[in-house]
Amino acid sequence: MNPLLYPIAVPILLGLICLIIPRRAKFVHEIIALIGSAMTFGLLIWIFTLKPFEFLMDGSIILRVDQLSGFILLASGLFGFLITLYSFKFMKEANRSTVYYGSILWTLGAACGALMANHLVVLLVFWGFLGITLYLLILTGGNLAADAAKKTLIIIGGSDALMLLSIAFIYSVTSSFDISTMQLSAGNPLIILAFILLAVGAFAKAGAMPMHTWIPDVAETAPIPVTAYLPAALDKLLGIYLLGRMCLYMFEMSRLMNLFLMIVGSVTIIAAVMMALIQHDMRRLLAYHAVSQVGYMILGMGTGSPVGIAGGIFHMLNHSIYKSCLFLSGGSVQHRTGTTDLDRLGGLGRMMPITFSSFLIAAFAISGIPPFNGFVSKWMIYQGLVELGQVGDKLWIIWLVAAMFGSGLTLASFMKLTHSVFLGVPSQSVESKKIKEVGIGMTVPMVVLALLCVIFGIFAYSVPLKNFILPAVGNVSYLGIWDPGLATVMILVGLVVGLFIYYLMGNVKIGREANSFIGGEHLPTETRVTGTGFYNTIREFGLFRYLYRWAEAKWFDIYDQLYQLAMNVGRFFGKAHVGIFTVYMVWVLVGLTLLFVFLMGRW
Amino acid sequence: MNVLPLFVAIPLGAAFLTPILSKAGNRISAVLGLCANGFIMGLSIWIIQYSKDTIVYFAGGWQPIAGIPIGIAMVMDGLTVVMLLIINVVGFFAMLYSLNYMTRYTETGKYYTLFLLMMGGLNGVVLSGDLFNLFVFLEITAIASYSLVAFGVEAEELEASFKYQVLGGTASAMILLGIAVFYQLTGTLNLADASRVIEGIGLNPAVIFVGILFLVGFSLKAALMPFHAWLPDAHPSAPAPISAMLSGVVIKVLGVYTLIRMFFNIFGIGRMSFVLIVFLILGTLSMVAGAFLALSQKDFKRLLAYSSISQIGYVIFAFGLGTPLGFLGGLFHLINHASFKSLLFLNSGAVVYRTDNRDMEKMGGFSQRMPVTGTTSLMGSLSIGGIPPLGGFWSKLVIVIAAVESHHFILAGIAVLTSIITLAYYLKVQKMTFFGKLSDLYKGVKEVPVLMCVSMVTLAILSLGLGVLLLPQLRNIILDPAVNVIAGGLDYAKMVLGG
Repeated sequence: MNPLLYPIAVPILLGLICLIIPRRAKFVHEIIALIGSAMTFGLLIWIFTLKPFEFLMDGSIILRVDQLSGFILLASGLFGFLITLYSFKFMKEANRSTVYYGSILWTLGAACGALMANHLVVLLVFWGFLGITLYLLILTGGNLAADAAKKTLIIIGGSDALMLLSIAFIYSVTSSFDISTMQLSAGNPLIILAFILLAVGAFAKAGAMPMHTWIPDVAETAPIPVTAYLPAALDKLLGIYLLGRMCLYMFEMSRLMNLFLMIVGSVTIIAAVMMALIQHDMRRLLAYHAVSQVGYMILGMGTGSPVGIAGGIFHMLNHSIYKSCLFLSGGSVQHRTGTTDLDRLGGLGRMMPITFSSFLIAAFAISGIPPFNGFVSKWMIYQGLVELGQVGDKLWIIWLVAAMFGSGLTLASFMKLTHSVFLGVPSQSVESKKIKEVGIGMTVPMVVLALLCVIFGIFAYSVPLKNFILPAVGNVSYLGIWDPGLATVMILVGLVVGLFIYYLMGNVKIGREANSFIGGEHLPTETRVTGTGFYNTIREFGLFRYLYRWAEAKWFDIYDQLYQLAMNVGRFFGKAHVGIFTVYMVWVLVGLTLLFVFLMGRW
Repeated sequence: MNVLPLFVAIPLGAAFLTPILSKAGNRISAVLGLCANGFIMGLSIWIIQYSKDTIVYFAGGWQPIAGIPIGIAMVMDGLTVVMLLIINVVGFFAMLYSLNYMTRYTETGKYYTLFLLMMGGLNGVVLSGDLFNLFVFLEITAIASYSLVAFGVEAEELEASFKYQVLGGTASAMILLGIAVFYQLTGTLNLADASRVIEGIGLNPAVIFVGILFLVGFSLKAALMPFHAWLPDAHPSAPAPISAMLSGVVIKVLGVYTLIRMFFNIFGIGRMSFVLIVFLILGTLSMVAGAFLALSQKDFKRLLAYSSISQIGYVIFAFGLGTPLGFLGGLFHLINHASFKSLLFLNSGAVVYRTDNRDMEKMGGFSQRMPVTGTTSLMGSLSIGGIPPLGGFWSKLVIVIAAVESHHFILAGIAVLTSIITLAYYLKVQKMTFFGKLSDLYKGVKEVPVLMCVSMVTLAILSLGLGVLLLPQLRNIILDPAVNVIAGGLDYAKMVLGG
């Protein structure tokens, strides 16, 4: 058997076994899932060393691993393994382990298949199958998740249908399904349409606007490991992988197509982060960031310059790492406190130090603070945008401002989150419980991911860029030089010097008592600062008041709007069905008459 | 020995035996019905091996003289084999399901009689080689289904059956009028022979007149918009296994099969290419309007009925493309739809069986209590919603590619958007019925009896795995021969009569 078939077949077969084994044997499910994901991860490492590698059937290349898909496969395998490990403790109470672990494994296998596919239909099959597994995984969240599951599969499955149309267009132009040999020029309007439709599929998976609305709903109701696994990690990898595949290999990008991407990217960055600012629920807040960050990746792709595209792809990798880490830390908090409502948390930093540190590192990374990984990729995207300006694009400054502004707002909302969950005064509900750090099965995945954030930041060039990203993109030239190693040393030196000076001052009293600074807001003495109230100012600010109100009434939710529209059309048709058969007879006669008029008319 | 008459003789024979045997107990007639259906299902599977041939059976041994048939002929070619498979496989599982389900009703002996009559009629329609017998079998099926729709004899069922009879009667009248003019025109009722004669006549107003009558008559049977209005009342009112038969099989055999046979093989689509445009228009109208209507329904079975209109629209749309790939897509979708729609009706029946309720707003959370029903209906829903790698996805893929290949870009787009709506309303069904909160009223609901489960599970496996029909090995013996018959057009006459 061809090596490329193993990482698809192994998890899918083991997943099937998981589904067959009765639900009481939870332990068996866990073992199978762990072995399956570990084996797949191992297989993927092996395949990474083999690349480029192909699997042929009937003379056409069905599966193919190259520079781009190689490292994404590796990352998917890692997430599969870590999430499985994390789930043991987290999913302890849930008695749906049959479906849960089966779907986790199936997801892994299907993701491998989608990433390796070199045949458009094969890609679509695995891609669509991921929709089913996501649906099943969300449903493990219980009764409340039913609505989110339905919405998700309608959006994802619907955009898969659009991809199908796009594939039909591509096939009608090229008579080929082979991705690696595809060269689609933008001259043909059909190809531009195909590009947009395929991009919509990628957007829905990755969660870019306007196809993003399922992500916050899923995050709120599905088990956290599911969110960390799919919307935060694998779906991002897949969506942006497809977009990268399209921009780099399949399509010759025209200016208009790039503009389309950049508009989607910047709108996504800003709008989603604005929504994140006002959230009260940790999971929902993180979910909006998962949307916002996609904007960077798409923006990077849209620049069309190698450094921008490399930055976009690198950001995808980084994002899946830190966002997974954030969701897992959030999951640990939920596991211990039983809530994700920001108003009911606080002061957990002392009680859960490992969770707190992992969370903090990931929060720094997502906010683009050097020397963590998020900074490096954002830096590359900025460079791509600046390069755009150099070749004469007049709009570059808009995209750059959007990207930087979004980054600032991200930091702002993470300050809120960090404060309300880990710092400040513990809320009553937290204080009443004896909260301690989560077990090793849950800390290991978080710590591994946090470490990756650090390594990919400090050794950005020597580890991820050199081995993973640059070979896939090629020809990357830098405008600005950013040496993360040197910068890290400088930062460390700065810290050491600072501490040194601090001690030299000697007689300064260590730790001083002061009132909390809350930006000049009035603080009644009996309330504690939760961090959420402070951000309510934004909500009441001028025009935002209306925008937020509309957003919360789902005016901008494309799914809700279209669903209502379709329902109304349906009801309109339904009114015509009065149940009186003479009316129906009239319809028949009208149909008959029309046919006679049109078909007999020419005689 | 030629087995073709058995497909008609066995169910009809059993149908006449059941009322006699039911004196001794309804259970006996049920078992007899099951055996009859099981036997012809086996026969229909056995006969796949001849799918590439055209087998003709002349009743009473009246062989044609000088190429002109003088007796009644039964014809089996690739298309017939596919239809026989659909009829008898779905029929068997609907019958199996009935054994448990029909305990809700009285006088079940009559039910099995009518069911078997319907089976005989359906097999007769696809096998008969002449137009008048086709009409007779069509009427047998139609009359059996009128009474089956009314089987519950509640006000709602009777009203639905009445509407069904009036509109179905209209269709039959048109078809009969068409046959009369057709006979006057060609002097023969044998399909193959008539095809030759018509080829000689060419296209004149009388031929088109007949064409329009058939078009309207068979479209009424197929429930294409605007001739569909009887279906949303009739299909939900019938007992669930009959709903499964009506939606899964009857509209396809009486409507789609007859339309295809008449226009592609007898009239010849090359001459009457306007029929393709009519197919495209009616098909698109049905699939779009049916989908919207289904989305806004709250009644489980009514939603499924509207969905049938929409899906038949897909099938006719695919045939209207007029390319072999389109025929493949249409036929494949026909098969897929037979499996998942009958499955979904059986699921709805399972819910009704336990709760006596069709209003989805009062349901919820049933998959906790009825895992088999829940899981199988999820499989059916995802398959009809076109999620890969389930069966429905593949037929959707073929249809969309065929539409784009024949440069119907906008229609391809409409087909895709409709499939999104389809997915939406099936997920709505899943959410409202099987997931979410279990209401206190239905705390005691439990899984349905074993025979019902067996039927649902088998059909679920079919609707999951029918994608394998596209594999070259299977495609060669099932789909391709049928596509060749349709694409071969007027070669039908040559295949049947030789020369």
